[in-house]
Amino acid sequence: MELFGFVTPLFVLLIAGGTAIGIVFGVIPGLTATMAVAVCLPLTYSLGLENGLALLIGLYVGGISGGVVPAILIGIPGTPSSVATTFDGFQMARQGKGEQAMRIAIIGSLIGGLISLAALYLFTPWLADFAIRFSYVEKFLIILFALTVMGALSSDMLLGIFSGFLGIFVSLVGVYDVTDGGNGHFRLIPPGMEDILYGGFALLPVLIALFGLTTVLEEAEIGMPKGPSVKELESGGRSKFSWSIFRGQTLNLIRSSGIGTFVGILPGIGGSAASILAYTAAKTSSSHPETFGKGEPAGVIASETSNNALTGGALVPLLSLGIPGDSTTALLIGAFALQGIQVGPLFIGQHPNTWNSMIIAMLLANLVTFVMMYYAIRWFSLAVAIPKAILYPVILMMCVIGAYTINYGIMFDVWTLLFFGVLGWIGVKLGLEVAPFIIGFILGPSAEIYFVKSLESFGDFTIFFTKSWIAAFLWLLIAASIAVSVVIGRRRRAEKHAAG
Amino acid sequence: MGDFTRVTIDFQTSHLVFPTLIGGILLALGIAILVTHRQAIAGAGRYWSQTLAAMDKPRFFGTIVVTLVYFLLMVPVGDIWPNTGMGFLICSIPFVALSGLLYLQERTKSAVTALAVVAVAAPLLVWWVFAHVFFLTLP
Repeated sequence: MELFGFVTPLFVLLIAGGTAIGIVFGVIPGLTATMAVAVCLPLTYSLGLENGLALLIGLYVGGISGGVVPAILIGIPGTPSSVATTFDGFQMARQGKGEQAMRIAIIGSLIGGLISLAALYLFTPWLADFAIRFSYVEKFLIILFALTVMGALSSDMLLGIFSGFLGIFVSLVGVYDVTDGGNGHFRLIPPGMEDILYGGFALLPVLIALFGLTTVLEEAEIGMPKGPSVKELESGGRSKFSWSIFRGQTLNLIRSSGIGTFVGILPGIGGSAASILAYTAAKTSSSHPETFGKGEPAGVIASETSNNALTGGALVPLLSLGIPGDSTTALLIGAFALQGIQVGPLFIGQHPNTWNSMIIAMLLANLVTFVMMYYAIRWFSLAVAIPKAILYPVILMMCVIGAYTINYGIMFDVWTLLFFGVLGWIGVKLGLEVAPFIIGFILGPSAEIYFVKSLESFGDFTIFFTKSWIAAFLWLLIAASIAVSVVIGRRRRAEKHAAG
Repeated sequence: MGDFTRVTIDFQTSHLVFPTLIGGILLALGIAILVTHRQAIAGAGRYWSQTLAAMDKPRFFGTIVVTLVYFLLMVPVGDIWPNTGMGFLICSIPFVALSGLLYLQERTKSAVTALAVVAVAAPLLVWWVFAHVFFLTLP
């Protein structure tokens, strides 16, 4: 009984509430699961870790799932991870099969979520056990690998890698902490700001800024476009759903779950990549690929199964290596930090209760999302019509709460919110990538410790290549990720050239 | 290779080792970006003028100004009633109302009424939950 002592009525209620709010965020185009987690993070300050994580995991799973509604009904993905759902889902809605497409997507989401949960449960302890053997050298190389993978899969490799290193650079502002083995000296602080920037920029105001304020500024820039009316949503159709649609889709479901989980494990790659990869795989292996893009249910299944499979996968590197799998799990690091817990190879052994609570929360969140969306999808879809004029001011207000309360009332953190919110908007305009920046910002201080301490211990740069076979293997992976990026970049340029 | 790869880190200056390295990498990447994206960079002036021309300026700059004023006023107002969170509550109501008015596409009577209700109810609820249920410090 002790093992599941955390499963209280409040725990279940927080999962259900988080899931419902997450679905609403997912349903509204422009709002994402990441934003839902960022905005609701202050609610976890007083909840305790298990209950706080229950709420955040509910938001995460619900937020990813909710994106299906606008993707199918109005052809706009509610979240980036539903981008491939629009290809066939919207076509189905135009044929009067909107509700049928949503039910297909919801079932696919459940299966993807459960398969990735199994992968999370089985794979994370194994990876964590393996990672315990890592010295500072291997830990540094893993961070370097995470940055190159993110850069490789960015729309522009150079800008992606630059964004990651920029994130590291910004994270180094402040004191070289004595508790981490540093010398207690300041660096990168403008004169006169030593007192307020002693500990550098706080993580959560930066995250909330980039996922909250930057989004609001982007929407304000384009004039806060009006959402669809309830009448438009009704036009999606009410055609009957039949389980027979899933006949012959077992391979598609398993393959898409595998793709989603794998993409989730790779650091910093969003659900949109998983959804497009799974969709492409389903199309190329189909005996009738010409039906894809014209309302093919298999396309909806592939996209939605893979993006929900991402949720479990993204938690694998977070809980075993301390490296977030995507931007939403990066925010979860903030929740752990608030409770004074460091995620990494020792996490499961030191906090078995929290680990179990996360697994249970993921399971319940997937089931609750399924029940809510399967039976109340029509009600949730009405959230698309909530005016942004009402929504965004409230979101901004919640951002302020999150930034202000993180360090028990420091106004500088609120100014950090505004500073990084505006900077994020400019950065996106310049082609910089938010996800690599965030991962670099989170991992920068650890990367510094691992790098400097390795050199202090061994006194030779070659140690990064010769320390162990794992180090050599990680260099191979780093080289491979850069090579893949170069190939992808060339292919993109060739396609662009061919298109004129 | 031996001497070339060897390095001794002086503890007194160890706080500068990693920032210098990352700064160097950023510089190298910056130069590579300048070289590979020279056409785009050369056209940056036109890009920004197009961005500014296409932008909804009242909503975009209005958001920044309203947010700036909101942040500036919160603490002085809060100092009038210390440790009550009143600075947050009193400033949030006009902030939500003003930014909502800024974002409304059609300022009809029903839309403005709905906004007014949310502008009062949302900050009040949030203030009550955080200051009185969770006992968190608010400005």
